[in-house]
Amino acid sequence: MRYAAGVDVGSTQTKAVIMQADGGEKKMIASALVDTGANVQKAGENGFLAACKEAGIAPEQVGYVVGTGYGRYKIQFGNTQMTEISCHARGAHFLFPNTRTVIDMGGQDSKAISIGAEGNVLDFVMNDKCAAGTGRFLANAADVLAMPLDDMGPFSLKGKNPVKITTVCTVFVESDILSYLAQGKKAEDVLSGVNLAIARRTISLARRVPVEPAITMTGGVSRNVGMVKALEDVLGMKLQISPLAHFAGAMGAALYALEKMDQDSEAGVRDGAHGTNRGN
Amino acid sequence: MSNTEKSDYRGQIHQLQKEMMVEWYQKLDESATTGKPPAVSLMISGNCIELLEAFDVLPLYPEVNALQLAIRRQSLEPILVAEEMGYATDNCAYVKADIGAMVKGITPAGGKLPVAALALCNFVGCNVYTKWFEHIAEFQKSPLFMLDVPFLRTDTPSKDDVAYVVRQLHDLVKQLEQITGKKFDMDRFREAVRNSARVEELWSRIKHLSKKKPSPYDAYFDAISLMGPLYVYRANPRGVHFFEVALKEYEQMVERGQGPFEKEKFRVVLEGPPPYPFFRTFRDMFAKWGACTVASTYSTVGGLWEFGFRHDPQEPFEAIALHMIENNVTNRNYLQRYDQIRRYVEEWDADGLIIHFVKSCRLFSAGQGDMRDYFTKELGIPTLYLESDIEDPRYFSEAQIKNRMDAFFESLGHAPARTAAQLSAGKAGSGIPMVPTASPKLRVLN
Repeated sequence: MRYAAGVDVGSTQTKAVIMQADGGEKKMIASALVDTGANVQKAGENGFLAACKEAGIAPEQVGYVVGTGYGRYKIQFGNTQMTEISCHARGAHFLFPNTRTVIDMGGQDSKAISIGAEGNVLDFVMNDKCAAGTGRFLANAADVLAMPLDDMGPFSLKGKNPVKITTVCTVFVESDILSYLAQGKKAEDVLSGVNLAIARRTISLARRVPVEPAITMTGGVSRNVGMVKALEDVLGMKLQISPLAHFAGAMGAALYALEKMDQDSEAGVRDGAHGTNRGN
Repeated sequence: MSNTEKSDYRGQIHQLQKEMMVEWYQKLDESATTGKPPAVSLMISGNCIELLEAFDVLPLYPEVNALQLAIRRQSLEPILVAEEMGYATDNCAYVKADIGAMVKGITPAGGKLPVAALALCNFVGCNVYTKWFEHIAEFQKSPLFMLDVPFLRTDTPSKDDVAYVVRQLHDLVKQLEQITGKKFDMDRFREAVRNSARVEELWSRIKHLSKKKPSPYDAYFDAISLMGPLYVYRANPRGVHFFEVALKEYEQMVERGQGPFEKEKFRVVLEGPPPYPFFRTFRDMFAKWGACTVASTYSTVGGLWEFGFRHDPQEPFEAIALHMIENNVTNRNYLQRYDQIRRYVEEWDADGLIIHFVKSCRLFSAGQGDMRDYFTKELGIPTLYLESDIEDPRYFSEAQIKNRMDAFFESLGHAPARTAAQLSAGKAGSGIPMVPTASPKLRVLN
């Protein structure tokens, strides 16, 4: 039995996954989610240890750790790093092997990835220097409406007449929302409008890569049912979403870790020791 | 996949280049004090250094001053000065850095820069520059010569277009006679053009050496080091000497199988100018992956010589006109640029293309989104699109750019190897018709 871990240190949350390989069969046996906060290094460690605990294994039993996400270079205990683009592609492919396009919406990034039959990245596009169309945009909207983030999705589905949010600026959206509320618009219609604005922006970004079915959505925003519906409406297609979509990046990292462990093992170079091959 | 390799290669040519550029700045400083020799401001694209050489006039490139400020991380202060004066955030950051520096007396090398005896706007490919040079003339009270170079609208320049530019060059000669007090000497002019032709041949050979594996130098980062002498000394025997040394150095590296990295892992083509305020940081992002640039469009901004064009000493005025109209990347249309890049990818056998969009240069960058689509969707060439700026440090987000670069090279590492033959056999022609690879001339596609 071999174990590998993927730790995805995102801008908002840190996700850790333990993957188990038994011969050629690979399965995810544990996951953990912690807030990233200011101490990125600690968040990575805490996530990893929590995942090990859930898996019921000692950290030493984990043969290889791949870090991903913006905080990946802070994961001192890891063996190597990979970008979340490669990892989300791989994770999405693991969850749904028919995936050809990945739409990932996280705290600060939204990205579209075109992938090959093996889960390899063919092309990708991301938002540039602007958090419009990301989880942060939604979080700002939630703040203005004084609503818990988790309630936003179901609540927005009640909106029947979405307002037109014209700004794509994460900061200025607050004044747009306040202005609509002042005009007496219903909060659910405002929220539904926010979702639609983000969906349009994200899909127009995604169309820069070939949007080919099947499309899998990953990232934290995939838990927002209102956002998912808006994306599907704009796209005119269904999205594949796993309950584990939030962990796709960490899962992809863990899969690469397993691969790397096997390669090293085959090469007879090493088998499972930590602390080598660290990037900068 | 990753390593911590840095691009520390420094050859004889880097030292020589530095000495020559320092000397140029010293001469500019002397000119600022004594007025001799007079200096003429002009722009890089399609520069007519041969005419200045014939009159012993110093070239003064506002673009070089701006990029030198940026590479020394001194560009933000003059940019802010210009913005306080009223230049908009969206304006060309080269313009703002240059004007702000001029107003505040900031110079990249610390010495003085002369007031231009003539602001010569050869506005090849960039219509923002007409305003830049009008402002230079206004602030410095310099006479302005507006050289109107028609944009290349056909496969090759029409006779009328060439004649139109040649007529203006004769007017320019009269103006240079006035500011220097010297009579135009046709023999000296031919000699300058002959030097240029020699340099262009040497430079072109250097450009083709990067087809070797490994490439002996980086055709973006190292080529930029060679661009100073190319624009300042091209028409002078010292330019010829410099490029002889450079060619020899790189040929020796080819013989030794040596490149800028211990191991060349990826070969890429680069489109667009660099983020000068983060030049080294940007280079290290390539070095980390052992990624060598084998061809770049930016190194053809001043002139496009690797496909055969040379200044002809027998028809020196016409040669300058052809250089300005046809043989530099900025005066050509987008489809011609596509074709130039396609040839680079195929003939220089690159793994992918990296496009660097310059936020404050809409003229060079507008359309690069479509360019990305063309190379990825029509030709199936892996293409990375990055955004920052040539001059303004505020547009550079290191974490974001690094993330994209890493993801791009990760994906190249997983991609099956491509060959030029595969690329040629791709979908080229399904959208935009392409010209045969062997054609020395690029076409305008109607």
